[in-house]
Amino acid sequence: MIIKFKLNGKNVAIEAPGGERLIDLLRERLNLVGTKEGCGKGECGACTVLLDNKPVCSCLILAAQVNGRNVMTIEGVESDARLRAVQEAFVEAGSVQCGFCTPGMILSAAALLRANPKPSRDEIKRALSGNLCRCTGYEKIFDAVELASHKIMKKAASK
Amino acid sequence: MISVESYKRPETIAEALKLLKTGKFGIIAGGTDVIPQMRHTPARSLLDIGKLGLDFVRENDNTVEIGAAATHSQIQNNPLIQRFLPLLSTACGLVGSWQIRNRGTIGGNIVNASPCADSAPALLIYDTKVVLLSSQGRRSVNLSEFIKKPYLTVLTAKDLVHSFVCQKGDDSAGNSFIKLGRRQAVNISRMTIAVSLVRDDSNKITMAKIAVGSVFPTPTRISELENKLIGQIVSKELFDETADLAADLMIKASGVRWSTPYKKPVLIGLMRRALVGASGIKEIPA
Ligand SMILES: Cc1cc2nc3c(=O)[nH]c(=O)nc-3n(C[C@H](O)[C@H](O)[C@H](O)COP(=O)(O)OP(=O)(O)OC[C@H]3O[C@@H](n4cnc5c(N)ncnc54)[C@H](O)[C@@H]3O)c2cc1C
Ligand code: FES
Ligand code: FES
Repeated sequence: MIIKFKLNGKNVAIEAPGGERLIDLLRERLNLVGTKEGCGKGECGACTVLLDNKPVCSCLILAAQVNGRNVMTIEGVESDARLRAVQEAFVEAGSVQCGFCTPGMILSAAALLRANPKPSRDEIKRALSGNLCRCTGYEKIFDAVELASHKIMKKAASK
Repeated sequence: MISVESYKRPETIAEALKLLKTGKFGIIAGGTDVIPQMRHTPARSLLDIGKLGLDFVRENDNTVEIGAAATHSQIQNNPLIQRFLPLLSTACGLVGSWQIRNRGTIGGNIVNASPCADSAPALLIYDTKVVLLSSQGRRSVNLSEFIKKPYLTVLTAKDLVHSFVCQKGDDSAGNSFIKLGRRQAVNISRMTIAVSLVRDDSNKITMAKIAVGSVFPTPTRISELENKLIGQIVSKELFDETADLAADLMIKASGVRWSTPYKKPVLIGLMRRALVGASGIKEIPA
């Protein structure tokens, strides 16, 4: 079937075979390799993308299921100010080591800040509990989300 | 890529029931259970229920009806559910991760019928009925009879779960939901306990509902414990005895197993904690 959806702000129409997972469509046919596959079963969050602004695992959703909806991947950082602010905060706070978890972390964090611009440390931890990181020990990732929250609030206040 | 023979996403329930009548389709909702399972199973034809408008939550006189395709996130955050079915809102808020809650549905959770399905003990507390549709018509089954054994329900390949009809909880009840451990963490049996209690001014228990997951083969209400509590005055001794009785019932049902030395004290400890929590009394009299 032909599916139509919005991907990082642009309209896409593409033939999607019934059993194709979203992650396979993104990585293998659309060459958006920022989305990573870790476990392939919903446990690591490396494959996180935003579906209508909410984080989901692209390894657990069929491409056909995003028909008519809005998908944002880490490549959307170019067109989305909130994502960019979170990305910058990750760099500044030193929250990236091998980087495999980073795209998923940034997307989950951006979704959190959209729903809750000033989350507590505990709320940050809970929101990111579906994103595993083998390298950083998480603290610097939580720091980055706090930093991004300050930046976004400051920007909003100065407008 | 998973192997799929065909994929259909009907837009009306009538159309969905017609496809199901062929017996060839497997239903997919959020896909969080189905998609990982399908990587190891032969090709199937999938019927996606995502366009059928089954993600509603509505209030009737004494009940709240939840569409089968409502997600855990939706249920966690829905004001009607928070008010009338607070244990269900809590339970769904503890499922998996944010990503899983955004996709996983209550229908998928119950039909998958895992002994540790988090929504099941909460739904049992609210005396939930499962509404099924097929080309033959509509029927309604008590949740306690819907799940037959681990990973098996009364559902046939021609049935669609339409919704769950839950009795509103008592406004004055104290509630407690405890979930132990991590899903799939090797060798650790997870457990869930849901308790709802009402007591009068003299601390006499006038209503008690207790349901557990991963204690018996399927999620279960434990009427023996409820009957033991009703009419009694809250005391440490009463709660201790009730928790001990829970463990006795578990062992009676499953026999002594390799996991019993772990599960027995854990069940006793958690049951006590859940009872104290639901009683709303900080210092339980001895
Ligand atoms: C990483 C991870 C963590 C998880 N953590 C938890 C957890 O903590 N607690 C927990 O309880 N579960 C957990 N789960 C399991 C799962 O997410 C839930 O059971 C979820 O609610 C399933 O819903 P779904 O819509 O994704 O089901 P699907 O995968 O779409 O379907 C599951 C089954 O139900 C059938 N089905 C679905 N809807 C209907 C319907 N309307 N009528 C008839 N049949 C139907 C399907 O045919 C299939 O057999 C976890 C899963 C993953 C991958
Ligand atoms: S690859 Fe999807 S959650 Fe791990
Ligand atoms: S930076 Fe390596 S997994 Fe997180």
